[in-house]
Amino acid sequence: MSVKPAGQERRAKPRAGALESALSALSHRYGEGAVRAGAPPPLQGLATGVSALDGLTGCQGLPRSRISRLLGKPSSGALDLGLALAAKASQSESVALVDFTLEMDPGAVEAYGGELDNFWLVRPRSSEEGWAAARALAKAGVGLCLLVADDWSGLTPGAAPAALLAALSEGAGAGLVLGGGRIPAALKERICLELECWHLDWSWAHGDICGLRTEVQVSRSHLGAPGASCQLQLNFPRPYPLRIGLQESVAIGDEELAAEPLPQAAGSRR
Amino acid sequence: MSQSRKARLACLTFSHLALVLVWRAHPELKQEPVLVGSQGPGGRQVVMAASAPAWAQGVRPGQDWRRAEVLCPLGARLSADPTALTELRRSARLALAACSPLVEWGDDASAYVDLAGNDPLRPQEGLRAAQCGRAIEEALGVTPSVGVGPSRFSAWVAAQRADPGRVRLVPEGKAAEFLANWPVTELPIPPQVAERLVQFGLHTCGDCASITMAELQRQFGPDGILLHRLCRGQDSAGVDPWREELPCGVRRVLAGGVDDSESLRFGAAELARGLAQELSRQGQAAGRIRLLLHGEDETRHSTQADRQLWWGEVAPPAPMATADELMGPLLSLFSKARLLAPVTVVELEAFDLVAPPVNQIGLWQGRAADREVIKRAVDRLHDRFGTGLVWRVEVRPGHPGDVPEERLVWSSR
Repeated sequence: MSVKPAGQERRAKPRAGALESALSALSHRYGEGAVRAGAPPPLQGLATGVSALDGLTGCQGLPRSRISRLLGKPSSGALDLGLALAAKASQSESVALVDFTLEMDPGAVEAYGGELDNFWLVRPRSSEEGWAAARALAKAGVGLCLLVADDWSGLTPGAAPAALLAALSEGAGAGLVLGGGRIPAALKERICLELECWHLDWSWAHGDICGLRTEVQVSRSHLGAPGASCQLQLNFPRPYPLRIGLQESVAIGDEELAAEPLPQAAGSRR
Repeated sequence: MSQSRKARLACLTFSHLALVLVWRAHPELKQEPVLVGSQGPGGRQVVMAASAPAWAQGVRPGQDWRRAEVLCPLGARLSADPTALTELRRSARLALAACSPLVEWGDDASAYVDLAGNDPLRPQEGLRAAQCGRAIEEALGVTPSVGVGPSRFSAWVAAQRADPGRVRLVPEGKAAEFLANWPVTELPIPPQVAERLVQFGLHTCGDCASITMAELQRQFGPDGILLHRLCRGQDSAGVDPWREELPCGVRRVLAGGVDDSESLRFGAAELARGLAQELSRQGQAAGRIRLLLHGEDETRHSTQADRQLWWGEVAPPAPMATADELMGPLLSLFSKARLLAPVTVVELEAFDLVAPPVNQIGLWQGRAADREVIKRAVDRLHDRFGTGLVWRVEVRPGHPGDVPEERLVWSSR
């Protein structure tokens, strides 16, 4: 048991209401806002158009001024979801697609209902060009900067993700990284939100695959606890002839089937 | 600002609209001296327009009415109907606006039209100027004189020298030569400057054009610069375009009568949003807004004017285009409103419509950056890395194939 001097004890216990009265006096003397609480401003989100997906992220959409990542195995629907999100964003804001694969079809954005007028496609000849273009466009104010690569390892210069994050903060746009492979540490530590897609089953129409059901799960988040998920019906945009009696399929992102918050952690699912 | 295009202006001079109205009502007065009067500053009556015979007797617009009566004792003295004059002015403006989007209306006896635009149907400016002349002739019933030049003054002089129904062109680069014989006393400069020029022995524009601008400025100050430009046909080449004021306003019917000004103020934001939307649709900004509050009891009041409980106007220093800009003046109007009975209808009208000012929107939010900022960023990227880095695509009509390179039109600039 330790004994404290009497004076020290008095200093450690401030008078009740002293802080409030001091704050009140400061506000009265210097005006409202002279003293503010240190909480950061709430993060804004870029709406995805799917309420269940918006509800997962903690900021009602893809977080602005941050980098998010959409990942999943081949045929999990991650790429289609990314393109659909780009198409949705292009309906109201400018969208830049930095295509490190050099194989992306920008017509897919238009097929998903996007506005090509608001769409900028970057086909870099080197990774430095791609990151510089992403940084410049994010700084100029594009609403969504989508970066797509087959394999991120070897594509990321050390300081590029930090510079992109600063540019996104300045332009208040959302960054979204798509693609597989091992993510370099310089990029991984800048990612604020990771959404992982899990393939559930295919959707069929008169013998053809017309879409898929996927589960989107928050596998990593700086904005809240991971683990929440929702199920989405992703319909491919190509128009399929429909048999009488079948419900007409709609474009991806326009309709959601279910939104089931699943409490278990990401790694324990499969 | 550098001027990238060659300016070509047409000046149309015609009989004053007030005279046109008089002649329509009294065709027998066409060859007679006619004086049309109006209320001048201070309430005194002045001459608004005078016909050519009256002009020959010394009557000028703006002259005191009593003096005009002395100068032209046998002239017919009439007054113009303001409503008919406004309607005639509007029809003439609309006729010219069909020829060119840039039309400046003068003093009801002249108009300027910018001819520098491209008209594939009439590539020659003479034909375009003649089209403007025909439009005025059809709208007013009088034949105008048309002059075309690189500046306002040279075009006006050309119109003065042209016969009615004819177009006089000042060739490009020949304005100074064209104006060389124009007397300095007829220049739009202060009379004392013209008088001193005559005393110096400089009687025409050609005499003044040989003097440098520095020397003229040393003698006459800013008037010397204007004189130098006028004599060389280098005065203002632009027009202040007229825009038709379309009715712009919003009207909201309140459910049940509201007799509390606090409650009405809650609806101000919705009213401001509605008017801002309407202004945005027309691409204009309001210089003045008017708030009208209508009453509840329609049986007690028979006319619309009686049912108006209260109205007020406000004209802030800067035009208003957005809901945020409208909110402040609107709230000030609501705070002044005095309610004598419950309000059922609220109307907000916009007047003095002008082109909206350039606003810096979303200063702290980059997502509001417009496409121009992104284009400039793309240009810088192309300068740095070469073209072919950033692409725009659009769907090629006809869907020629499934390959993106065939299905889409690619452009890097």
